[in-house]
Amino acid sequence: MRPCGVFDETYEKDIAIVRTRGHWLLLIGSLLFLFILPLFAPYYLLNLTNNIFITVIVVLGLQIVTGCCGQISFGQPAFMAVGAFFSAVLTTKFGISFWIALPLSGIAAGLVGLIGGAPSLRIKGFYLAMGTIAIFYLTMWVITHLHITGGHQGLSVESPSIGSFVFDTDERIYYIILIITIILTFFARNLLRSRVGRVFVAIRDNDLAAEVMGVNTFYYKLLAFFISCFYAGIGGSLFCHWYTVVNSEQYTLIHGLNFIGMIIVGGLGSIPGVFFGVIFLRLLDELVLFGSPFLTELIPKLGIAPAASLGVMVFGLVLIIFLIFQPRGLAHTWEILKTSYRIYPYKN
Amino acid sequence: MKKIRLILFGVFTLCCLIAWSMPTFAKEKTVAFLSLSDFTGPIAGLAVDIEKACEDYFTYINENGGVDGVKIRYIPIDTRYDVARAISGYKRYRKTNKLLVANAVSTPIGKALEPLFNRDKLVWLVAADGEFVAHPKRGFLWGNCYQDGFSAALDWMAADWKSKGNSGMPTVGYMGWDSAYGRELLRGGKEYAEKIGVNLLKPEYFPTGTMDHSTYLTRLKNANYIWVGGIDPNPTNVIRDAHRLGMTKTIQFVCGYWGPAQYLGVRLHNKALQGTVVTVFTIRGTDAQKHPLIKKMWLKYRKKPINELPGPYGIGLGWALHFEAALRIALKDVGYKKLDGEAMFQAYQKLGGRDITQGIQGICTYGPNERRASKVVRFYQVKGKELVPISGWVKAPDSISLHKF
Amino acid sequence: MVDFMQFAINGILVGGLYALVGVSIVLVFKATQVVSLAHGQLLAFGALFFWIFLDQLNFPVWVALLGTISLAALMGFITERFTIRPLIGESLFTAFLMTFSVFMFLDGFFQLYLSGQSRAYSPFLPEGTFNLSGVIISKGLLSSFTIAMLIFAALFAFFKFTRTGLQMRATSENHILAQSAGIGVKKVFTLIWIISSAVVAIGGIACANVMDIHYPLPYIGIKGLIVAMFGGLESIGGALLAGILLGLIENLSSGYLDGPLGGGVKDAAAYVILLLILIVKPYGLFGLKKIERI
Repeated sequence: MRPCGVFDETYEKDIAIVRTRGHWLLLIGSLLFLFILPLFAPYYLLNLTNNIFITVIVVLGLQIVTGCCGQISFGQPAFMAVGAFFSAVLTTKFGISFWIALPLSGIAAGLVGLIGGAPSLRIKGFYLAMGTIAIFYLTMWVITHLHITGGHQGLSVESPSIGSFVFDTDERIYYIILIITIILTFFARNLLRSRVGRVFVAIRDNDLAAEVMGVNTFYYKLLAFFISCFYAGIGGSLFCHWYTVVNSEQYTLIHGLNFIGMIIVGGLGSIPGVFFGVIFLRLLDELVLFGSPFLTELIPKLGIAPAASLGVMVFGLVLIIFLIFQPRGLAHTWEILKTSYRIYPYKN
Repeated sequence: MKKIRLILFGVFTLCCLIAWSMPTFAKEKTVAFLSLSDFTGPIAGLAVDIEKACEDYFTYINENGGVDGVKIRYIPIDTRYDVARAISGYKRYRKTNKLLVANAVSTPIGKALEPLFNRDKLVWLVAADGEFVAHPKRGFLWGNCYQDGFSAALDWMAADWKSKGNSGMPTVGYMGWDSAYGRELLRGGKEYAEKIGVNLLKPEYFPTGTMDHSTYLTRLKNANYIWVGGIDPNPTNVIRDAHRLGMTKTIQFVCGYWGPAQYLGVRLHNKALQGTVVTVFTIRGTDAQKHPLIKKMWLKYRKKPINELPGPYGIGLGWALHFEAALRIALKDVGYKKLDGEAMFQAYQKLGGRDITQGIQGICTYGPNERRASKVVRFYQVKGKELVPISGWVKAPDSISLHKF
Repeated sequence: MVDFMQFAINGILVGGLYALVGVSIVLVFKATQVVSLAHGQLLAFGALFFWIFLDQLNFPVWVALLGTISLAALMGFITERFTIRPLIGESLFTAFLMTFSVFMFLDGFFQLYLSGQSRAYSPFLPEGTFNLSGVIISKGLLSSFTIAMLIFAALFAFFKFTRTGLQMRATSENHILAQSAGIGVKKVFTLIWIISSAVVAIGGIACANVMDIHYPLPYIGIKGLIVAMFGGLESIGGALLAGILLGLIENLSSGYLDGPLGGGVKDAAAYVILLLILIVKPYGLFGLKKIERI
């Protein structure tokens, strides 16, 4: 956020993520704020924050494959499940530490994601979307019919620990989740500024043109899938060690649809958009959960507390409104706001 | 990056505002009962009616001054059978003033939340999963466990088979959801079948939203009895499919307490379901319509004719009655000030040996090492447009000890 | 052998219903190039309207059917006019996401209306069974299958012999050329949504007659999508064949693989087929292969 008349003088400055002293101050200040948040935050807020951060990790992955590379995937929850179960099996059945299991589960999910991404060789758009739905169901079917994953019963897992310090409360695990979110956000942000990120965007905008330019599109599509599923796997692993339990019914197609909704609301192809989308829709969900008892009192005919169906309805409505009036999402609105600030007092 | 932190900052301010504006309920003496139920998903067909009953009874208590002046706050949450939603819902209400009991209306939700409930030292209720009986912790079952119900039905089948003049043991088919719940019954039920010598065919598991169940039924066509699991409308649909295949003439169908609902199975599709037997741990059908408390609650709060009484209404009253009884004991033992989940836990363990549910369920059997609310079941049969009793309380065999959990 | 015939016949009869759902998605795609997820909800609401007319208001079957078709058509019209029409000029992908949003939005209403309870029709199709040397065929399923086939015949005739049908085929070939030939493309869009909503509503009634109206009903729409992709998104005949094949494969795989694989194969089989089709023949059995230009 820069006022009018501040310019970059060197190339290094122009490409820097953090550009001015004010930015540094704000960045450090807000990180500090995030790190001391558990000291004063109410209990439920922390739970919500954990949930939001894990969702952010998963949706960041989805943003890379769908928003940036243009390969729509509804299968993200399945890859989360792969990560979660892989990590759960490693820690409970083989006694491997969480800290090793976490990256491994990301890689495992990424490898499964390569299978999920394989159809993208020949198909794209909604054909691929249907393909990922198929992958979702098949993955879940395999997970629930394997013996080692506990089948339908699922597994219960230990909280992560260092030495004798166990991350078993929301406040403690918050730090793990926060640090991983920061690292992964930074990675995603930088990835999109790199050659790979630009190739992704080229494939999204016109994969045929990209291929003609000499890009190995299949390789990059698979790479996008791998990274995306790696993120999902990390998210899933964190999720299962936070809840200390993993069960196939935690990962349903509805979540996959929700994730897509989040990047639509946030803005396709934008990293801040992920934060916007996730936070907006999560808070909306909370609002519905919060408001539905009052609504039931107003209209008794609604039944006991239809939070879930109201949630779905509001979710659909928000998506419709965004697709018609702001298809580029909240990130675009944010850009407009910033531009107006920068060129103030002129109007754009 | 600069955008991100600003966004985060804004959002946290917003979150803080929301958190601070959360209402506090500390004015009246209240205790809370949290129900993580499903009002719009796969088990809503019966769960909604159960919740209504529970709500009605708590309203009734509160209207009459509460339990020794303590009002009960009933908090239903719609999870849509979604574990993540249940967990966030639970965490949302975890710090509610004097939350004593949480109710997990779904097998996966119960399993997922068990560690949290135990850590928070709550009493929690769960439908009927044998695992929690085998390893008693803080979870209490609504009635007896699925396994016991199934085993009691096996006993009934064997007796029915003999009474029809056949020799030997009947062949029994099993159908259930392709989920944790669908597989729960056979963890113990299978061993019991082996023990009494019933020939149990290979179990069939079908996906929840299946349109046509004919393949599963065709494979079970040699059975004499078929147990249909799943939650209504699934059992009703399965038996309708069987009726379409002409199997209902030769095969006796038996369901569990999640079986045919009054409106759908018993009334609308009564032609197909004629003769179906339902195994329940509460009273149902015409019995329930005559029960004074059920009748009173239904007419007073639902204001509909008594013959529209949904089958599982009694289950919800069972929750509420157990809760009320335990609350009385806990209040007497420790008083309102010191009342917490632990006191309630002790109180629940003392409920055994009494008829708490006024005959809706059998004699209560909760105890220090016993998590089943009762060990008896009743059998009902669809006859005409009603569900009529064909037995009194029958002791259900213990099949938990047969399985290694 | 009797088992095999039983699996196959039930599969074919149910497959006919899948085909009906699939063809409604094909219709929309043919004209507008939009793949619609919203049809799952149009199906569920069609089934619900019919229940309201038949069992709540106690109308005769024909009146109920006409009422359902007109209400469903109205819903299709509204969906097209207010959600798809504003997106003309945007990418087709956006339109796909829009139909998905419509699905979610309507899903809320559907679940809220049901509030967990199931609804069932009082019997309006013939009941009972035929017994063909051990293979049992339900009259109810057979009659809904026949209705589905009749609708297919009507659709074939409509596209082959009527002027509007010709216009629609022209539109599906090329929007700009069709417009320059004096065809009102927007009018065709509206019309096709109306027709396809009516078709899917009838499909919904047929499905609900088998499985009752309860919460998973809208998800039959996903089965319809599989059928549409299997047969090729442009081909009505393809949808018919694919629907029947899907029903057949589902039942046979569940019939013979459930045992060795431990249950739940029925759903998985449909998705394996979908994945195979997508990899081997991405444009379906009878779909048109698109040649892309830069």
